[in-house]
Amino acid sequence: MKSITRGKNKSRMKARFNLQKEIRLIPGYAILIFWVVFTFIVLGWVLAASFSTTRDIFTGEAFKFSTGLHFENYEKAWNAQNVSVFFTNSLFYSTISTFLLIVIAAPAAYALSRFKFIANKFIQSGLVAAMGVPVVMIILPLFSLVAGLNILSNDLFIRVLMIFLYTGINVPFAIIFLLSFFANLSHHYEEAAGIDGCSPIKTFWKIMLPLAQPGIITLSVFCFINIWNEYFLSLIFASGNTVKPVAVGLYSMIQSMKYTGDWAGMFASVIIVFLPTFVLYIALHKRIISSITGGGVKG
Amino acid sequence: MKKKNRFMIIVFLTPALIMFFAIFIYPIIRTLIMSAYNVPHVTADVSTWTFVGIDNFKKLLSVNLFRTSLWNLLRIWLFGGLGVMSIALLFAVIINSGIRFRSFFKAVIYMPNIVSAVALATMWLQYVFNNRFGLFTTFFQKVGWETMANIAWLSPEMKFTSLLIAYSFGMVGYHMLIFSSGIERIPKEMYEASTIDGASKPRQFTTITWPLIKGVLKTNIIMWSISSVGFFVWSQLFSTVTADQQTITPMVYLYLQTFGAGNTITERNAGLGAAVGVLLTIFVVVVFIVTNFVIKNDDLEY
Repeated sequence: MKSITRGKNKSRMKARFNLQKEIRLIPGYAILIFWVVFTFIVLGWVLAASFSTTRDIFTGEAFKFSTGLHFENYEKAWNAQNVSVFFTNSLFYSTISTFLLIVIAAPAAYALSRFKFIANKFIQSGLVAAMGVPVVMIILPLFSLVAGLNILSNDLFIRVLMIFLYTGINVPFAIIFLLSFFANLSHHYEEAAGIDGCSPIKTFWKIMLPLAQPGIITLSVFCFINIWNEYFLSLIFASGNTVKPVAVGLYSMIQSMKYTGDWAGMFASVIIVFLPTFVLYIALHKRIISSITGGGVKG
Repeated sequence: MKKKNRFMIIVFLTPALIMFFAIFIYPIIRTLIMSAYNVPHVTADVSTWTFVGIDNFKKLLSVNLFRTSLWNLLRIWLFGGLGVMSIALLFAVIINSGIRFRSFFKAVIYMPNIVSAVALATMWLQYVFNNRFGLFTTFFQKVGWETMANIAWLSPEMKFTSLLIAYSFGMVGYHMLIFSSGIERIPKEMYEASTIDGASKPRQFTTITWPLIKGVLKTNIIMWSISSVGFFVWSQLFSTVTADQQTITPMVYLYLQTFGAGNTITERNAGLGAAVGVLLTIFVVVVFIVTNFVIKNDDLEY
């Protein structure tokens, strides 16, 4: 409904081109364009540098490509610098954690939004409060718990642990995010399904969850991006070379690149790490932005 | 029917609540308790803990390095906060002033939020602030502003300012969207009516927009505080030595203290680490209470 009226406004605005109004808005345009151009220059330069050579970067000629495009920077970063390993790790962590998160958070959000029971409000407040708890408040016990299990030397266990942590840390946000999506669905669906003899649990998976699909997709993208970029937990628990995700991998690589002096390769790695979230954002930025402005919750 | 529902509620909530308990409730309680004990090292068994009351906090506040980290955090929160909030509000007002390409501007300004902080900080460090081929240096040389061109952005004196600029740049987008959502909710008729009455744009801002976006201002302040408290990656990337006085924040201090990276801090008492966590949580809670007390929502009637 909201989007329909907004669409109407937009077309009305586009139809009336008012020169006087546009002139009044010039300072506004100038400020925003300045910011946007700056963003593009920085990104564009890093992209150019990633195809350039270290020598050209240092002489300030990254945009000239005097020796052509150097795709081998990417090849080197991907193979020799282990970016392939970090990248696959992150892809694995982010995908599985996001999937698990939906499977765990969606039913919980549904139960909290649909049914009245004693602890309901209490649980909701607890979840909201947890979103404000700094990670330093939970890291020490988690670490001692995990260290006590003696699994930090086994890659497979670390992977399972990371998925558990990434999922769990996002549970409060995911539930709170989905609450409103379920609350907005009509009760008639469940009533109709009940009359047809569908059990409540089956009704949820077959009917309600698909109806909340827009929310589920936006949430998945949010969480995928968050987990992809997560740094602190990964640094503490998964800093080994074989289990590192991209954020920690990129950090250690940058440290070593400064000494090896392969700047072009470093910028290529930056672009590789940046690319997946960027592509997701290009594809789904409308949903992401409207969900932030709609709910006013942290993304 | 009722019984069926109860079964379903339990089945649907249990996995989430187990996760919530394991990752939030239990660790929070344990950190609280730890902060009142001398804990030989992070993994130490409870039997080796000795009760010290508020000594951990006293000791922490007497350590110079920690005091520096706290001071840095306060500067980030206050100066960064003022900068980010002003720019974000300005952008939100411009975006809602009837300009074209609204969603394009929003999308580009928000974009840094989806980029890995490590990648973003690298772009700033290795390109924008670089003194040989960096954006700032080259740009100011071209326009002939020598004093600006000669600034060594990553020198010890300038590093904190550079860090703050780079970090704030990425944060503007999120807070702009929150402000923007507040402005969008103000009925257009209010502006139309005041325009007819002859009110100028600045006057409309002070009498209509500002009083009516108090609610989102509150959200923004609380969100800004939560993200400031977790200030870590940027510090790590901008520091050239472990425990860099210019960039250290409480979270970096905790990392050095408890997880023993580098040997600047020799005392391994994990109770101190827990106390850092408790102090930061108290900071967020205090900000929350104070903003709720100062900014009242109930005068919003429209």
